[in-house]
Amino acid sequence: MKKILLIFGVLSLLIFIRPALGLNTNTTNNNSLNTTEQVNTSEGDNVYEGAFKGIKQFYNYTGFANATSGNLIMIFIGIIFIYLGIKFDYEPLLLIPIGAGVIIGNIPFVAGNQTGIYETGSVLNYLYFGVVKGVYPPLIFLGIGAMTDFSSLIANPKLMLLGAAAQIGVFATFLGALYLGFNLPEAGAIGIIGGADGPTAIFLSSKLANGLNVLADGTTVKNLIGPIAIAAYSYMALVPVIQPPLMRLLISKEDRKIKMKPPRAVSQKEKMIFPIVALILTTFISPSALPLLGMLFFGNLLKESGRTERLADTARTKLIDIVTILLGVTVGASTQADIFITKDSMLIFGLGAISFVIATCGGLLFAKFMNLFLKGDNKINPLIGAAGVSAVPDSARVVHTEGLKSDPSNYLLMHAMAPNVSGVIGSAIAAGIILSFLG
Amino acid sequence: MTHMLLYIDQISEGYVILITGLLIVFGALLTLSLFFKFGLPVMLYIYKVITKRKDKKIKDIKVEADEAFTGEIAAAISVAIHMYLNEQHDNENAILTIKQARKLYSPWSSKIYGTHNKL
Repeated sequence: MKKILLIFGVLSLLIFIRPALGLNTNTTNNNSLNTTEQVNTSEGDNVYEGAFKGIKQFYNYTGFANATSGNLIMIFIGIIFIYLGIKFDYEPLLLIPIGAGVIIGNIPFVAGNQTGIYETGSVLNYLYFGVVKGVYPPLIFLGIGAMTDFSSLIANPKLMLLGAAAQIGVFATFLGALYLGFNLPEAGAIGIIGGADGPTAIFLSSKLANGLNVLADGTTVKNLIGPIAIAAYSYMALVPVIQPPLMRLLISKEDRKIKMKPPRAVSQKEKMIFPIVALILTTFISPSALPLLGMLFFGNLLKESGRTERLADTARTKLIDIVTILLGVTVGASTQADIFITKDSMLIFGLGAISFVIATCGGLLFAKFMNLFLKGDNKINPLIGAAGVSAVPDSARVVHTEGLKSDPSNYLLMHAMAPNVSGVIGSAIAAGIILSFLG
Repeated sequence: MTHMLLYIDQISEGYVILITGLLIVFGALLTLSLFFKFGLPVMLYIYKVITKRKDKKIKDIKVEADEAFTGEIAAAISVAIHMYLNEQHDNENAILTIKQARKLYSPWSSKIYGTHNKL
């Protein structure tokens, strides 16, 4: 108690002494020269003016002064993304990081202070490097490989063709983009949205439509990584909305009830041989897709070899989580309003929706076509064709729930996973082909 | 004029890419599926020949695992194990929570009680 009193006393003494000291200095000043006082008062005016200027300058640096309608629209879109992810559970692992990224990227700021994602040297720019140079997508593929069980595909190899059939969406969109006036590399990058594979879309657009490459006629390609990635990821999240109506439209009620025989058990040896053989075969055909397919099958080998469970475990949990966080936030932040809100972005969004529709229809119709040649219990349920667009594992889940609606005892998930994973391989091969033609 | 020419050129190149691209994608996945349909059993057979028994034919080992053992059975077994391991706590003994307290009477500030019952 005494101590507190003592401290309090000392403090109050100090406070009382300070103005006294200040007064003393002032008086000495007054005594010495009159002019100094004059200067002092004018300086006081300056101080107020300066403070006002400082506040004004500070205000000019805030978001309130620099906000444009574009920024506000994009922030609103970011909030919608987060809302969709939380409320409807549409791929929350993607939509929430991207939505947060959209908000981060559209906070208005004064250029030139190394803040924005497109300013060299800023933190976000360094993280964005992984997107621009295509570093993140192969790492994501490593994790996907370590997660994916290819056994349903090995048990029923003919389902691989469904994954190829859905790639018609890629090439049809490519052609559509050409007709809309995009040049070849840009059209190629836009087309890959139809592959329904976010990492592949980012990989290809970072190689083709990165705003750096110069075409033969001297023009520079546009930077479309942001719009393409956002379109690919948002349509992937909307697979549960886009696909079911098409399924009901194209597949008759009887066909929807077809029960497929359960896939045979696959031995461990086959599972180990698969990644090695598939790696060699696919990359020999399409070497440009090596970063994607190489990592995908490498990850799968880690999983299936049975000796590297630790590595596989890291690849499919920690590593892919870290990369997804970085990828989501930077892709979201790359939608800075002044670069993102253009006519091209709107066109890309339109084309993306069409490409998803075409890809789904391609898979469904090809499944019906395959059924013409299959007999008895070898017949496939045409619904699983829709899983040929990659969007792992969402489209397989959509097929499963759609199948359950027409027959509550028909479990299609296992069968749908086969075209689904082959869709991943197919879209990576398609990306490789487009890259080798146009890169 | 040149622009027009370029435009047409692009579209025609687009069609070339469309057709070749689709063919290559189909070709690649077809080779893969054919390999796993026919090539893999041969490979497994050769492996078996190299390691030991030489008298077996390809037909005999086409499907290595038991035909009756499908993925559905495996799924059922794994679900059962999963349920057994993870849902056990649902059957915990409920009496645990209403066990009788050791001390029937414990006025915490009573001096007399403290002298009689030493902790």
